[in-house]
Amino acid sequence: MADSTKNKITVLMVGNPNVGKSALFNRMTGSNAVVSNYPGTTVDFTKGTLIEGRQEYEIIDVPGTYSLEPRDAAEEVAVRMLRDCPDAIVMIVFDATKIDRGLYIALEVMERGMPCIVAVNMMDAAHDKKITVDTAGLQRLLGVPVVATTATSGEGIRELAEQIRKAQVADLDAILKRLNGENTAKKQVSGCGGCGGC
Amino acid sequence: MVAVGGAEQMVLSSDAVLSSDARWEMVDRLTRQTVTYGTYKRTLGDVLGELTVKPLTGIPVAVAALFAFWSIFCSFAGALVTDGFMVKLFDAHWLPWLQSLWPDPASWHYFVFVGDPLADNCFEAFGVLTSGLFVSIGVVLPAILIFYLMMTVLEDSGYLPRLAVLVDSVLHRVGLHGYAIVPAILGLGCNVPAVTATRILETRKQRFIMMSLLAIFIPCGAQLGVMLEVIPDMVGMVFLCLIVGFCLFGYILNKVIPGENPEILVDVPPYHWPVKENVAKKLCNRTKGFLKEAVPFVLFGVLVVNLLYLGGVIQALAAFFEPLFVTWFGVPKETVGPLIAAFLRKDLAIAQLSVIPMTAYQMFASVVLISIYFPCVATFVVMLREGWKELIAALAVLFVVVFAYGGLIHAIGILLGVA
Amino acid sequence: MQKKLFELEFGDMAVVREIHTSHHDLNCMGLRVGKELKMITKQPIKGPVVVLLGEVEIAMGLDMAAEILVDVIGTDA
Repeated sequence: MADSTKNKITVLMVGNPNVGKSALFNRMTGSNAVVSNYPGTTVDFTKGTLIEGRQEYEIIDVPGTYSLEPRDAAEEVAVRMLRDCPDAIVMIVFDATKIDRGLYIALEVMERGMPCIVAVNMMDAAHDKKITVDTAGLQRLLGVPVVATTATSGEGIRELAEQIRKAQVADLDAILKRLNGENTAKKQVSGCGGCGGC
Repeated sequence: MVAVGGAEQMVLSSDAVLSSDARWEMVDRLTRQTVTYGTYKRTLGDVLGELTVKPLTGIPVAVAALFAFWSIFCSFAGALVTDGFMVKLFDAHWLPWLQSLWPDPASWHYFVFVGDPLADNCFEAFGVLTSGLFVSIGVVLPAILIFYLMMTVLEDSGYLPRLAVLVDSVLHRVGLHGYAIVPAILGLGCNVPAVTATRILETRKQRFIMMSLLAIFIPCGAQLGVMLEVIPDMVGMVFLCLIVGFCLFGYILNKVIPGENPEILVDVPPYHWPVKENVAKKLCNRTKGFLKEAVPFVLFGVLVVNLLYLGGVIQALAAFFEPLFVTWFGVPKETVGPLIAAFLRKDLAIAQLSVIPMTAYQMFASVVLISIYFPCVATFVVMLREGWKELIAALAVLFVVVFAYGGLIHAIGILLGVA
Repeated sequence: MQKKLFELEFGDMAVVREIHTSHHDLNCMGLRVGKELKMITKQPIKGPVVVLLGEVEIAMGLDMAAEILVDVIGTDA
């Protein structure tokens, strides 16, 4: 891994339809993926590049899907992308007003043992609807980095980009234990030492 | 590769596969610990959202919205920019200038690039640099621009899913569901992204029906722009014919093709104000896409058609197909040339029709025919990408539909005594 | 009082009790047993049904709505 600074790391952006994946993608890569306010705008994947630190990431905006059991052709594209890029980091994008749906697909992705990072997007909409999401709590429970973002205004994008390298493989058993209130002694987000971001 | 560490850790948790119930249970426990709901007051957006989806208020709003869409499109693209500015620019300055500048009016290159030396307007000259440029820049570009501007506002506000709910009852009976309105409206701009957008439909049957109907009955923005310019009074009738055809053949295809036609199940997102930057960016990209892809196609199409005329190919084809076109569809034999051009660009073909002397009925029938006739080359290519079996089947459907519907319109014309 | 989902009147609030159709798809849209919902509208001529689930509005076909049993818990005009 000595030349890891030169290698591109693939990051797949996965999540429900219409949660703002394409808007986040555009923000991070400066690309022009089509963004609209209806589920199913993205029916094919779009690639873009993000350079963060000295690492180059190839970010792929994957069509939205409700689960990894595809319902339509666009969702099949998403499942195929996950299968074809087993080494990729998965960025799971939530809609802050619909956390439950996002968590469902997040768990499905985590079961595949791929390193994950979570972006809780549309925080502004959640705020308007008086919904508060405890992202720190979510990060503690899931054991993967969780970043609050608002793609339309650009809030949290910087932090999200920085956190990609801390993506973790989630341990479902440990999540269950933490839900039961057990303290899983293992440090949740490794690599937290000295970044000053916490 | 890169994520070597990640690949090794995979082994640790790969056996942890949950049932979907167990997953939902976990989801519920996670959300209970991390998400809190405050008391929420309904906003104006929510009220509007409900009003536009309830049939009693929603249907009038939908009709009004589509009508407004259409009238803005007509008055801006047709009357204001094209007639008010482009026609004057091209006919009074560009054409005479080219005609005076280009050497040797009798030569083949004059015919190909400038066209008819006696023409006094850019529609009738039919050279690459006269009609070709005029159609693409003067007629189609304004139409595309205003169409995409309004389309983007519809898309970004969140109105489309509500429209989908309102039209679902109709579309479900033609083998689709309400969400098919998205590729249908996209198709009014350009069929190419619309074909890809059919992926939001669930089954292959639905996608096939939508793709065929899209290629046959939905005219693209370029065609619309030219129709507005050439036959402004008949556009309404043409549309009616296309909508009737869409529903009729959709109904038949739904009955004939095996497969499932699942019901609609979609999110209805809350309304948003469209973000100015996003609207501008989308408009810019789509217009750029048009300039890059469609304009060269139009110019190339005129070039090929003119060369075919010079070589006598079109005249020979016209003689060969004459009995068919004259007896079956009731259109003059001169329309064969435009029909061949239609394969390259449909908008071009409609422009060509305008110079052929015809009765109003013949004009109407040939415009409908061209609209339902082959999709343009670009649409072919994207349809092929969605599957060659589908493409071949769609072509078969297309042949049947062109003959059946063309004949039907002719028959109705005869009955009404106009053909 | 148990009803089929599409029998609800506008503004009725109800709790989902049983789902007899493809419950995976409905679950993914947030419609699950035990969840509360509110009827927003039913479209004429056998059109789809729109319900509010928490903060999310979803539309579904009438046949699907006929396979979902709910308990009415009140009305919110």
